[in-house]
Amino acid sequence: MPLNNSLIPFKGWVNFGLKTPKNAAIAGYGVYIPRYRLPSVEVARIWRGGEEAPLIKKAVASLDEDITTMAVEAARRAIKMAETKELGAIFVGTETKPYAVKPTSTIVAQALNQHKVLASDLEFACKAGTEALQLILALIGSGMIESGLAIGVDTAQGRPGDDLEFTAASAAAAYILSKRDVGSIAVVEGASSYVSDTTDFWRRAGQQYPRHLSRFTGEPAYFYHIQHAVKNLFDEFGYKPSDFKYAVFHQPNPRFPVEVALRLGFNLEQIKPSLLNPYIGNPYAANSLLGLAVVLDEASPNDLILVCSFGSGAGSDALSIRVLDGVEEKRRKAQNKVRDMIEASVEIDYATYAKLRGKIVA
Amino acid sequence: MAKVIVASVGYTRVGDHWDKSILDLAVEASKKALKPYPNIRPEVIIVGNMFSSQSSRQEHLGALLASALNLTRTPAFKVEAACASGGVAFNIAYNKIRSGEVSSALVVGVEKMRDLDTPEASLALSMAESAEYTQFIGASFLSLNAMLARLYSETYNVSRDELSAFPVIAHSNAATAEHAQFRKAISVEDVSRSPLVSDPLRLLDCAPVGDGAAAVLLASDAFDEDDGARVDVLSSKISTNIFSVYERDDMLKFDATRDAASKAFSEAGISVEDVDVLEVHDAFSVTAALSVEAMGFSREGEGAKDAAKGIYALRGRYPALTFGGLKGRGHPVGATGIYQIIELWLQLKGRGNANQVKGCRIGVAQNIGGVDTTSVVSVLARR
Amino acid sequence: MAISYWRRRDRYYRLLGNKCTRCNAEYYPPVYICRRCGSESLIDAEMPGTGKILTYTILREVMSGFEGQQPIIIGIVQLDNGVKVLGQIVDTPIDALKIGCKVRTVFRKIREESSAGQIYYGYKFTVLC
Ligand SMILES: [Zn+2]
Repeated sequence: MPLNNSLIPFKGWVNFGLKTPKNAAIAGYGVYIPRYRLPSVEVARIWRGGEEAPLIKKAVASLDEDITTMAVEAARRAIKMAETKELGAIFVGTETKPYAVKPTSTIVAQALNQHKVLASDLEFACKAGTEALQLILALIGSGMIESGLAIGVDTAQGRPGDDLEFTAASAAAAYILSKRDVGSIAVVEGASSYVSDTTDFWRRAGQQYPRHLSRFTGEPAYFYHIQHAVKNLFDEFGYKPSDFKYAVFHQPNPRFPVEVALRLGFNLEQIKPSLLNPYIGNPYAANSLLGLAVVLDEASPNDLILVCSFGSGAGSDALSIRVLDGVEEKRRKAQNKVRDMIEASVEIDYATYAKLRGKIVA
Repeated sequence: MAKVIVASVGYTRVGDHWDKSILDLAVEASKKALKPYPNIRPEVIIVGNMFSSQSSRQEHLGALLASALNLTRTPAFKVEAACASGGVAFNIAYNKIRSGEVSSALVVGVEKMRDLDTPEASLALSMAESAEYTQFIGASFLSLNAMLARLYSETYNVSRDELSAFPVIAHSNAATAEHAQFRKAISVEDVSRSPLVSDPLRLLDCAPVGDGAAAVLLASDAFDEDDGARVDVLSSKISTNIFSVYERDDMLKFDATRDAASKAFSEAGISVEDVDVLEVHDAFSVTAALSVEAMGFSREGEGAKDAAKGIYALRGRYPALTFGGLKGRGHPVGATGIYQIIELWLQLKGRGNANQVKGCRIGVAQNIGGVDTTSVVSVLARR
Repeated sequence: MAISYWRRRDRYYRLLGNKCTRCNAEYYPPVYICRRCGSESLIDAEMPGTGKILTYTILREVMSGFEGQQPIIIGIVQLDNGVKVLGQIVDTPIDALKIGCKVRTVFRKIREESSAGQIYYGYKFTVLC
């Protein structure tokens, strides 16, 4: 199969792994981070007798927000930046659907007034967002659609008192992908996914809160899959860590992304810009896509970005993303930085959190 | 045109009637109204009611009441115009007699509100507003009036105490009114210390929820009363406004009331200065203020200030809310318009007891549905 | 309720009102006949997403169906095209509310029938200043 004439040539291109279409590119992105922040000391105050807690906060959606409302808010920002008129597909990656049966993607489609779309919800724990992005990419590359919308969004919840409650957060990240043109922001050069049957974290049908195997979610799950996906990407496309200006990893806590980056040969300078966990916690399917967005807010044309998601159950998507010239003009017009949304926040106490997230039984 | 006379009246106390159904209340008031004139068999029964379907899962109130009163074969029906249901029922009966279609009519306003809890009553009341664009977003009737109160106070620089003047007058009069829900005087401090329910409105700015029924027997001038103090209906006019207050160019203009009042006054051949006693629709303090302004008793922005000056007190220039109004007597929604007519009748007949306005000859009742969306203004006179 | 909501979802999601093709007057909620010129030729028109607060209230006792959401802030907003719209105001501290505050629309949950029933979404406002 002949390769599409690559607009960004790089050495070591080999014809295996996930062949990403070079005629499709990111045309716009938008994130939504709800306004409220719960400091982890508040969770510790209630459930741990006030023992010391890491200095992190998590983003908490208001009582009238769910993944649908956050997906729409992020999508509207992305569309505004991309200046896209028509979408051919909408995929919403999430594990916190308010309807177990009934697509979120159709509500998003209606709110965006886009009806001639292939629409679906995807679930793969925290990596459904990068999956959505790759599926849209493939549909454009195959010529089935001209442009599409990929959203990673969650209102993650931990059982009250559970370790997860310190970090399980709410946010959305949306990407418009279109046929590549002068306005394109970035192109996905390579992709490599790795999965295995590893049940480190799960939520059975009908259950409100997920369960997890505590430390098992580290080595056999998070590290194993990310390291495999990234190493395969390197092998298949001939990359080495120093090729990348930025590296973005899934961030379930402040520690894991740093640890995995160092193991893979990256340095702190490469991962620092995307480390959002201390400010917003872990918004699951939005996690790595938010990390990418904050990097795209500051990257320069021709920078190479590594993004690697992780979803429990388990798997990782490793993507190499090349920044294009269009990024500067689009950013200038959008006037909408992820960091501004991180800063526009209000700290809340545990009681308010309990009210906002429906933890009070009336 | 036949003259229309308010022959007799009947009413229940307003408040909690836990042991009485909506029909029990309507029958009680009706029997009292019919009792003085056993020879008059009403030729039509008109029931004013807003939400019996919500409160009692009951509609078809006209036939239900006619049957209960042993008055089958009598045409009977319910009319609904939100809180103006009673006033509109009265207006229709008045016009039927005036036109000669009938020579007598029983008009009954009734509402059973206490069977609903507060959120349910609030939902039922919100049906006076747009279900699709007001109720949908969670804006209760109270919230609309609260926004109006803020706008009114800001626009005309009306103080908290000035806004409190109407509720204070209402309670002062209700204290000595036997049928009132709150027989207790309050001070401006009481109003400003009462809990905020939808700011700037406080609990004591708002008419309460209560049960009640009120009935009047109307007759043509073929009927002549023997006690010499006949009460005639000189006019009754209904007008409507652009449905939702936020759709209007000027949200502080009660144009339905303005229109109904000007037509009613003109047909009755009276001017504002001729009015001796006034029942205004004081569902909220701000509603009373905007109403007296729209009818011309106060200048624009001066309604609450005039109330604070005592103009609308029982011994003021225009005694208003003489038995407590909606705030003090209570506001059993569909019955309110009939209570107003009854209270004017008591005044004009000289049966006001402690609440009597001395020497009154002309009374005006103004009954609103929605935020001045429907307004009924009626003029009564002692002959 | 579920069906009457479905019927109006574009109105609620996109603040879709209408506009007179003769005199260009705009309306939300949409009207059947132009109030300004009487024309019956009206087309759907999305309202601008920004405006300013004309008046507001903090409703402490909510209606049936909105339990658990109290207190809710409700405002009348004048949009940039002059149309006055009723809406909830969210994510805004009560002491930051003022007549004249700039607002923009956000997409939010309005309420749900029950934990098993449908969820209704629509526009609300959030304060910008
Ligand atoms: Zn027109």
